[in-house]
Parts: sequence; structure tokens; C-alpha cells
Amino acid sequence: MAEFDVGKHGVGPISILNVKGYLDAHTAPELENAFNSLINDKQYKVVVNFRDLKYISSAGLGVFMAYVETMRENNGDIKFCGLKDDVFNIFDLLGFPLLYEFYKEEKEAIDKFNQG
Amino acid sequence: MKVSSLKVPHSKKIENAIFISVLLFIFKIVFPINDSIFLLIINELLILIAVFAWVNYVTEFINIRISKPLTLVINTGILNALIFFIISLSSWMFSEAQNSITSSNFLYVLFSTIIVFVFISSLAYIFSVYKSLCFHRQKKDPTLYFNIMIIFFLLTAISASLLKPNLNVENLQVILDSKNDFIYNAFYIITVSFILSISLRVAWIAFLNKKQKLALLALSIVLSVLSWINFSTLSSEEFIIIRNFSPALEQLLSLTMIYGAIYFTVIFFTTLFHLPTAEAIDRKSQELTSVKDLSKLMNQVFDFEELSETITSTTLKVSNSDAAWIVIKENDKINLHSIVGLGIIDANQISEFLIKNELLSDTEVKITDLNLFEKKYNLPNSIKSIVSAPLSVHNNNKGFLFAARKTSRIFEDEDCKPVGTFAGFAAVALENAKLLEESIEKERLEKELDVAREVQYKILPQRNPIYKNLEITSLFVPAFEVGGDYYDFFEISKTKLGVVIADVSGKGIEAAFIMAEVKGIFATLSKLYDDPKELLTLANSILEESISRKTFVTAIYGIIDTEKETFNFARAGHSPLFYFNGSEVRKIIPKGIGLGLDYTSKFKNTLKEMEIKLNNNDIITLFTDGINESVNEELEEFGYNRLEEIIKNNSNLSVEELSNKIMKSVTTFSRNSSQHDDITLILIKWNSYKNLKGEI
Repeated sequence: MAEFDVGKHGVGPISILNVKGYLDAHTAPELENAFNSLINDKQYKVVVNFRDLKYISSAGLGVFMAYVETMRENNGDIKFCGLKDDVFNIFDLLGFPLLYEFYKEEKEAIDKFNQG
Repeated sequence: MKVSSLKVPHSKKIENAIFISVLLFIFKIVFPINDSIFLLIINELLILIAVFAWVNYVTEFINIRISKPLTLVINTGILNALIFFIISLSSWMFSEAQNSITSSNFLYVLFSTIIVFVFISSLAYIFSVYKSLCFHRQKKDPTLYFNIMIIFFLLTAISASLLKPNLNVENLQVILDSKNDFIYNAFYIITVSFILSISLRVAWIAFLNKKQKLALLALSIVLSVLSWINFSTLSSEEFIIIRNFSPALEQLLSLTMIYGAIYFTVIFFTTLFHLPTAEAIDRKSQELTSVKDLSKLMNQVFDFEELSETITSTTLKVSNSDAAWIVIKENDKINLHSIVGLGIIDANQISEFLIKNELLSDTEVKITDLNLFEKKYNLPNSIKSIVSAPLSVHNNNKGFLFAARKTSRIFEDEDCKPVGTFAGFAAVALENAKLLEESIEKERLEKELDVAREVQYKILPQRNPIYKNLEITSLFVPAFEVGGDYYDFFEISKTKLGVVIADVSGKGIEAAFIMAEVKGIFATLSKLYDDPKELLTLANSILEESISRKTFVTAIYGIIDTEKETFNFARAGHSPLFYFNGSEVRKIIPKGIGLGLDYTSKFKNTLKEMEIKLNNNDIITLFTDGINESVNEELEEFGYNRLEEIIKNNSNLSVEELSNKIMKSVTTFSRNSSQHDDITLILIKWNSYKNLKGEI
């Protein structure tokens, strides 16, 4: 059940992370690795696409909290897009939308980066 | 038991031997010359018994040392040389005396008696050695055969004594026909033929190693030559000390010398023919011992490093290599272990070359001639040829065992076998080490879980508070791995009750400790502040110092005022509060960020406080996401709606009954999948008619 995968590609200066499957305490390290390699490459503008994510646990949410500060300190950010309703509700309950930017489409998130 | 039973006859045997020797000595002093047939017979009898007694004693002593046959052969050689020396010396010293028949002076008798005793003991020793060697490692028991031979030895000796011309006595030959040597000759020939056939029993040679065989080859030449010389001088006319003393003893001695001469000639040729195969046999036996030692080690040692060192060093020995090492493959990387006879850089380079160029097989032992690649790939030129054997567990290749030679002698097929065998051992050792590590890790995790669970149970309230107009129930079902749920009641005053429900992100021992801290924060703050918003804001700022960036805590904190009949609360990222107002269930989600997500003023600014006016039979339901995230076998979540329905349809039940109903529904729903998060459920019902004793 605990299948998780993270794909990475770049659109200009912006990095897109496609998260897929189940993000929980056991699969969170994979996402952490992806963020670490972005920081190594000095890629601080990140859009996470949740289109293929089926489930996220509290440990999964923690990954974004752990990295967002580093991104913001370097004029970057983590923006979310493509969340299904049930996944969005989890973020919403926690108050994430008050702290992070959420978009329906990946393009909107990219555009937002390009404007700023 | 065994030692003592051996010792008693042992000491008796030497007593017997000494006793008969003393008897013989006295007899000889009193009657130095056997000048009558009666004396001769007594003399011979005493001699034979003495020889028998000594053989009997020495045999036992030899049998203990038979595991080192070469030492026995060397001792035999020394005794043979001693006999040769005595014979030469005495022939020279007594050449005068021997010529006179009246060699009766006391000194001569004493001296010859001593010499005879030396001969008797040497004879006993040599004969015992031959006997033990003949029995050593023999498949068929040669006892009967050997005993018959001994009887013929004795018959020849006696017949020689009685029938052959003697210098001192007119013996039986005179009585019998003087030309009748027939009986003696017959016995003699039969004895020699027995010796011949007994001498073919040399099975023990096969068990010697090559070095020992070479030594035996040299020893056998010396011994057979010495035996021949001794035999011929003993039977020469000039040497007559022994013959004077006892013709029977002379016969025994010379027969033993013949035995020695024949036996060592046979040994010489047998060893010579065994030599070419000696090396192969050596290797086989070494292989066998190594395998035995290793299997023993496998059951005693679980440390992979320690075992792998033994494996490479035995591989080196058995396969006649100059270097050996083990390579373990781990995620595209290779790790080298227990390298012997080569530097790590060279070993690494060779291993990488072989793996990269796919010169190895995952299933077979392979020989690679590195001479062919050395120049082209710039390999270290010290290694010329290499054997590789895969370490496979359940058809899954984990790495390789390498054995390498620096000489131009390239490995042959027969070298592969031991390397393959030891690779098998290495694979099992590797697997064992992994399993052990896993079980230790599992045990550690289980211990940790136990601790976390214990912490959690100690933190949670032991009973529900009793308040006027309130029916309260709480239920907690832990997940296998502690999930971080926490709830508590704070009895602020007789009319005010604080309630908290929280969920720490993450699991296990880490979550348990944060939970303990959260309890401390709420227990303290609940006494100081009766404003939920202020309390949560303070809790958030206190947590900033103690929890990591990726950890957060969701919570609802509220105060029930039984005097004002209100429930005043705030929500920090937690699951909704369900409020049943007599007709419908409302999901209440006031704004609020989870604790630990943000430490700026945003937290306080967005946090909304709410107040509910409580009416008779109103039900407040607080829970953690363990309930709504419970899944069935189709991975469908229990969700909020099912919970809502149960509350709505069973609002007339007591809170305990309702709580059971909810829990039963959740467990039935998720019966085919495991509970992966803690479940907490608190039900609070406002009952305008309930007094403090619970009576309505």
C-alpha cells in the first residue's frame, strides 16, 4: 500500500515536484531527499503538484514545514497545486492555506512565481 | 573410569616384565652356560616369557602414540641403529673371547647379559611398533593373522634352539637325525611368508600428508638397509654372543630384522607410488577439515566480519592462492571485506573491473586469466589469475568471493570447488548476519513502542470528571505504533471544566514525548487562563522552543461553564467539533492554524474563539482523525458523515452507549484493515436535570 514516488522537473528557474501515491511517515524521507537535492542545486522556487497524490499523513505535511523557511529565506517559496478535495481538506483543517499559496493549476503557481 | 581401568593392568604389566627380567638375570648369573638340555629349555622359556612380557608392556605404550606413526618409525630407526652399533662394537671387542669356548669369566657374562637385555627391550619395542603399524587404520582386523604369525615366530625360535647345532650343548639334533634341518626350515619359510603378507598392510601411509610422505620415503630406505645389515650380521658366524646366550632370542631378533627389512621395502615402494597423488589428497583433507571448522564456526559466531575473515583465509590456504577477499554488492556500490594478501586499492580495482565488464557469473564459479586484460585496462600487474564464486542466497546474488594468484600458475577447474564451497558459507554467514541485525532492530523498535505506549497511558486521564448537568465519557484506542493522541480534563473550578483534545504529528516515541510536553503546557496554562484563544496562543509560542520544524500539534481547547451553561472553545488545526443541538449535527470548524506551524502574530490573528449556548440533550463530540480516517478494505474512509448519522440517530442514548455504538461502527467498518492511528473520542452531553451524583 505504501507506494510513493516523487518526480522532478524544471520550468525555467522553477522546480516542479510531482508527488504520487501515499505520503506517510514511511515514504516521507523520499520527499525529504527531493527537497535536499533542490537546496543543493540552489533551487528555491518550488511548486508541488498533488494531482496524483492519494493520501497524506501528518508526517507528510511536516516535510513542507521543514523546508519552507529555507526556501523563503532565499527568495523562494513552496506553492501547492492540483490538490483533490479530500487532500485539500486536510491542509485546510490545519490552516495551511493561511500560510501557503494553493492553486488549482500548476500554471497559476508558476505564473505567480514569475510575476513576483 | 577409563583412565583408572587402563592404569591398573599397565602397572602390573611393567611389574611382570621387571620380575621376569630379574629372574632371568639371576638364572644367567648362576648358570652362565647352558651346558645341559634341561638348562637350555629353562633358559629359552625364561627368555621367551621376558620378551613376551616386554612386548605386552610396550604395546600399550605405543598404542597411545600411534596417531604419530612417523615418530614411532624414527624411534625404530634409532633402535635399529643401536643394535647395529652394539653388534659392530661387540664383534670387535669380543672377537678374541668368542673364540674360546670357555667364555665363562664373570665380566663377560655380566656384559653379555646387559647387552642381551638391551636387545630384548629393543626387540620388544621394534616388534610392538610393527604390530601397531600393521593394525593402524586397517579396515579388516588382522589380529588372527598376526597371532598366527607370532606362533610361527615362536615355533621357528624354539626349533632353532633345540634342533640347530649349538656350541654348548649336545642338543636334540644329535638325538634326531643330524641331517634333519627340515622342521626348522619349514617353520622358517612359513614365518617369512607370513611376514611378507603382513607387510602389505600399509594403509596408514595414505593418511600422511605430502611432507610426511617424503620423510617416510627417506626413513624407509635407511630402515630397510639397516634391517638387512643387522639381519646379516646377526646370522653371521662371527657374532655369537646372542647365540651363546639364547638361540631362540637370536632367531626372534633376526626374524624381526627380516620383518623390518621387508616391511620398509614395501613401505618405500608404496610411499613412492603414493607421492604423485599426495598433494591432491592433502588438499582434499584440508578442504574437509576447513569445511568442518567453518560449519562449527557458523553456529558460534554471528558477526559477519569475523566469519568472513576466517572464510578468506581458509580459501587462500585450500585453493593455493596468494590473495583472497569478499565483495558485497549494496545499491550499485561494492564493499570489500576481509582482504588477505593484497592491498585494498588493487583489490578494489580488480573487483570493479570484473563486475563492470561482466566477467562474473551469478550462478557459477569462474576462472579469469587477468594476463589477457592487464595491459589493456591498466590493471595491477601483481595478480595473474583469479577465481570468482558468487555469494547467492535464494538465487539472489549478494556479492562474490575472490581467490587470486600472483604466480603464472593459472587456476584450474579443481581449484574452483573449494572456492565455491566457501562462497556458499560466506553467503549463509551474510544472510545470518542480516537476519540477526533485523531481529535486533525489531526488538529495539518493539521496546521503543512499549515505552511510548506506557508514556501515553500515564499521560491520559484515569477517569472522567463528574460535574453537575454534564454526562462525560472518553474513549481511547491506541494504534500498534503510538499515534500521538492526547486528551485531558482540567477541573478549573466547581462550575468550570477545561477540556483538551490534541494530536501530535508523527508516531512512536518521539510523538509520545511531545505529548508529555503538551500535557505539561495545557495543565499549567489551564490554571492561569480561562480564555481558550489566549491559552492556545501561549501554548504555540511555548512549543516553538521545543519541537522541530516539521512537527506540529493540532488541538481543540474549550471551557464548559455549568453556571453560564456555555461551551467556549478555539480550534488550532484540529478535526471539526461536532455539535448536536437536539435536531441536527453541526460540524464546527472555526478558523485556526495548528500549533507549531507558524510562530508569528498570524497565529493569534487568525485564531477564532467560539461560544455555544448549551441546551438540554445537546451533545458535543470531540475526536481525532483516527476515526474519520479509518479505512475499509477498499481504502474508503469512514469519514464525517457516518459519524454524524450515528450521533443524530442515537442522541437519546447515554454517552457511554453512544460512544460504544460509534466505536463498534468504526471497527466493523475497518475490520479488514489494520488501525494505523490512535482513536480518541470524547462525548459531552448537557443534561439540565442531572445532579452531582449522576441522578436525573
